Amino acid sequence: MSESPAPTAPRVNEYTAAFLLLRLFLGLRTLLAGVEKFESGGKYTFENYYANMTRMASGITGASFMPLWMTKNFAHSLGYLLIIFGAALLLGVKTRCTLVLTGLLYVGLSFGLMAVQESEGVAWLAIHVGLIAGALVLVRHNRFSVWADKS
Amino acid sequence: MPDSPSPYPAFTRRDFLATGAKLGAMLVAAPAFVRAATGSQTLNVGLIGCGEQGRVLLNAALKIPDIRFKAVCDIWGYNRTYAERLLGKFGHEAKPFEDYREMLAAVPDLDAVIVATPDFVHAEHTNAALKAGKHVYCEKLMAHTVEAARSMVVTARETGKLLQIGHQRRSNPRYQHARDRLVKEAHLLGRINNASGQWNRAVTEDLGYPAKYALTEDKLNQYGYANMHEFRNWRWFKRYAGGPISDLGAHQIDIFNWMLGANPSSVLAGGGVDYYKNHEWYDNAYVIYEYPTPTGIVRCTYQVLTTTSAGGGYHEYFMGDEGALKISENPKYTKLYREARAPEWDQWVDKGLIGRPGSGEGAPAPVKPWEKPKPKLGGPSKSATVDVRETAELSAWDIPVTLDKAIHQPHLENFFDAIRKDTPLNCTGDQAFASAVTVLKVNEAIAARTMLTFKPTDFVV
Repeated sequence: MSESPAPTAPRVNEYTAAFLLLRLFLGLRTLLAGVEKFESGGKYTFENYYANMTRMASGITGASFMPLWMTKNFAHSLGYLLIIFGAALLLGVKTRCTLVLTGLLYVGLSFGLMAVQESEGVAWLAIHVGLIAGALVLVRHNRFSVWADKS
Repeated sequence: MPDSPSPYPAFTRRDFLATGAKLGAMLVAAPAFVRAATGSQTLNVGLIGCGEQGRVLLNAALKIPDIRFKAVCDIWGYNRTYAERLLGKFGHEAKPFEDYREMLAAVPDLDAVIVATPDFVHAEHTNAALKAGKHVYCEKLMAHTVEAARSMVVTARETGKLLQIGHQRRSNPRYQHARDRLVKEAHLLGRINNASGQWNRAVTEDLGYPAKYALTEDKLNQYGYANMHEFRNWRWFKRYAGGPISDLGAHQIDIFNWMLGANPSSVLAGGGVDYYKNHEWYDNAYVIYEYPTPTGIVRCTYQVLTTTSAGGGYHEYFMGDEGALKISENPKYTKLYREARAPEWDQWVDKGLIGRPGSGEGAPAPVKPWEKPKPKLGGPSKSATVDVRETAELSAWDIPVTLDKAIHQPHLENFFDAIRKDTPLNCTGDQAFASAVTVLKVNEAIAARTMLTFKPTDFVV
């Protein structure tokens, strides 16, 4: 009979803390990524938002094979979606589902940057997608949610 | 039987000679008459000196319409053949000559001559061409001595022919815009108090030559050269030229005079042959000039260093109390700076005289078309970085005028336009004489190790 102690599973609150940190980071990052799209010259307005997003859409279209209607639709909805997903992550609203949708949004954004060969931006987004994938692995330890996922 | 009257008018020997002379004169003048009658603007040009600078001028002139090179002259067959072949490729049938006197005699219908020989023969070649009735474009520095330069101005006056000296910055549209619009019209620099100029150039090897094409000692001596090494590297030897201050500095010191509209009253200089063992001329020189101008003294420094490319290349820098202009033939060294105390410059942007900070040449990489411009950050706090004696930072603006031609082309165009249309030259012999006096005094000041003064009459022929 061995005298060494039996391995014990990590305590639940360590996983909970790890996920919470990820959720907070991703929530803040996503929320602020959406908010900054309304900024121009230090001012935040809807007018700035549409100017910024139209510039983004026409810039991507001008440098890639993607049609303007596609990039415009994506760009004009991007900021709102980032804010919604960011807030949902912070509040804990259907976190599993929100993580998947946020991940898909970042993959979509990566696709646009891949199309214009913006490797640096793609690499940054890949880090985001990797963090979301890690969060999905830990999502079962999610706590402090206003609207929890069904277990 | 009385002589019947002849049906033909009497034709004496005297009549024959007079008519023959008139016909001969008409034949000689025929090309000019034909050109005048047909409205042709083509100018016949000869080149004396087909070395490095001659080739630069040839290549620039070949881009100008209605120029026909009819003769090239160089004492070295190697250079002569190069120029002849280059011109042949562009359809110019230029006759080669070793001696400029033969060229001037054998090709009488030349309208103009370009002189790109070593400085010590500029006056000889220019004066001969002017006396032969040709307009002359002569490379700078116009001569290696003040007296030689003076003789060129006098000959131009006596013959009534045009003399343009190759200070080509005066015809550069960016320089003209800077002086005429930014400094004179908009007064963007305020009162100019100081200027600096420099040409820092890395070590260069002496020029060699293919041994089989070397000139004989007799031939070299006939044309005033001691040996083949000095013939190829004449810029470094005192009997042929004025050294780096003349080769490089002349361009920029000429711009001091031109921009300030004045000649200096004194010069203080130091320099020496400190690096090169087989050269005679100073390989580095530091100069201080004082220019009396209507708004006060402008003190200018100039340096020419031939052993380093460090220190910011080559440019002229005019500094006033409201702004500063850094200008060079190389656009990357060109910038306009506004002092924080100066009146706003936005009106000059709207008028197209200047570009906003960060636009144009030398600006940081533009924001990608799909990116949102990033908000400006505050940066480190002022108290942590700025000494109390520092004054507010300059803002950098752009000059929206660039030259899209070879740098010598506008100056040659100005010369040819002056011949064809009687438009004013951008660098007459008189103007270049003042610059030559300004430049050549530097070598005297270095040798004398003391401040030398100029009299206003020194700059006048």
